[in-house]
Amino acid sequence: MAFVSVSGVTKRFGTHVGVDDVSFDLEAGETAVLFGANGAGKTTLIRMLASLSRPTEGDIEIGSEPLGSGNAAVRSRLGVVAHETMLYEELTARENLRLHARLHGVDAAVCDELLETVGLASRGGERVAGFSHGMSKRVSLARALVHDPDLLLFDEPYTGLDQTSLKRVAAVLEDLEDRTVLAATHDLERGYRLADRVLFVNDGRLVGDLETTAFDDAAEVLEEYERRCTGGEPRAVTSGRAVPTRSTVAGTGTERASGTNTDDPGGSNDG
Amino acid sequence: MTGIGDYLRVVYTIARKDLLVESRSKQTTNAAFVFALLIIVVFSFVFGEEVGSRDVLARGALWLAVVFGGAVGMSHAVALEGKNEAIAGLLLAPVDRSAIYLGKVASSTVFITGIGLLSLGFVVVFLDYAFDMATLATVLLVVPLAALGFSAVGVLLSILMLHSQLQESLLPVLLVPLVIPIILSGTALTEPGLSEGMTSAWFRILLTYDLLVLVAGWMTFEYVVEE
Repeated sequence: MAFVSVSGVTKRFGTHVGVDDVSFDLEAGETAVLFGANGAGKTTLIRMLASLSRPTEGDIEIGSEPLGSGNAAVRSRLGVVAHETMLYEELTARENLRLHARLHGVDAAVCDELLETVGLASRGGERVAGFSHGMSKRVSLARALVHDPDLLLFDEPYTGLDQTSLKRVAAVLEDLEDRTVLAATHDLERGYRLADRVLFVNDGRLVGDLETTAFDDAAEVLEEYERRCTGGEPRAVTSGRAVPTRSTVAGTGTERASGTNTDDPGGSNDG
Repeated sequence: MTGIGDYLRVVYTIARKDLLVESRSKQTTNAAFVFALLIIVVFSFVFGEEVGSRDVLARGALWLAVVFGGAVGMSHAVALEGKNEAIAGLLLAPVDRSAIYLGKVASSTVFITGIGLLSLGFVVVFLDYAFDMATLATVLLVVPLAALGFSAVGVLLSILMLHSQLQESLLPVLLVPLVIPIILSGTALTEPGLSEGMTSAWFRILLTYDLLVLVAGWMTFEYVVEE
């Protein structure tokens, strides 16, 4: 049973389709990277998984529980680091973490441990307003981890970080091996190192779902992404997954279970 | 997280956070209080000698200051939630989102009551108006009730407009017509020498309005905050 199940999810903003019939599963403990150009639909997808945005169509399940209104308990399994830090600048780093610890019903003692983890133990009493973007992002990461979530959603976790923050954030992410992680990133090099799978998104559609072992390096992943975006023939890969449409997810799921290359463009989400 | 105790704990946590943030930034306080002060000072200059009834002048200035000071304060307060998308962090918590709404209404009620009480002081000082004890007691009861209704509508509306480019200018335009029942009952209830029957009727209107908008906000907040 998949830990995260996204089935036929579409998000429309008026006449614009932000995400178009996207389906995929994530197993518990798996790390996947959503890779795509600006405006491809990565953030919209992450926001829907974070329960901040409601899909126009389709279903999302986390740990077999439907995600949506009235199911607050599912949110206790989610940790989210987005573009924005979701922090109050007038509060100190520690106060921000304690606020979220209280809302999650978690012992506030964990906040100091997390500040230590992100390298800000000595700055915990300072207001976030005085922090650099990188430091704020590290506090945001600590905020996302405060309740020890099973699923972590990252939207561009590396963007705009200085070298120190980049190393800290990368180290924390690499240390999350037992969690299920979905990260949207432009930084394919780091994403490739982090992930077991890479999901290609283009124009709101999922155009590829491949295991990273199928590639020798990030450059190959990029080539494959560009090939798929331009309608070229996908290269043969020895491992990977089908990109399921709503019908395959609703069906027996045998397409997903094949284990060999089933990454057939004919089975992709073409609308 | 279940049970009424946990629910109220979330309401308290949100309200406390809002008041702590405001006590540090003072951004909203300054904007709203200066706005309220300006209204009353302008009233004293423009109408001071022209309006025959000091009661009318004082009540008019007081409620204008409360309504417009409150509207300005509310748009600033919501701007703080929009900064860094801090409100999304609250929405990710595994809590009933209506508790977040009630927490924000509670903090906003405290804040607008503060504006009301300060405006009362400004009216006394700048309009040289002495409230009799009975009217003063009514004002002290009516202002928090009016603030509650005002906040119940204001929080919902301002969250709806969080992502609007015109949020700060649009909020008062949309909010003021919606709180007309509060303005009407507020001005009526603070009229000296109002009969018992009329007082009771206006209180019923104010309380019914508060209850209606609070329940409506409580029921719809979950849908308002989700994109």
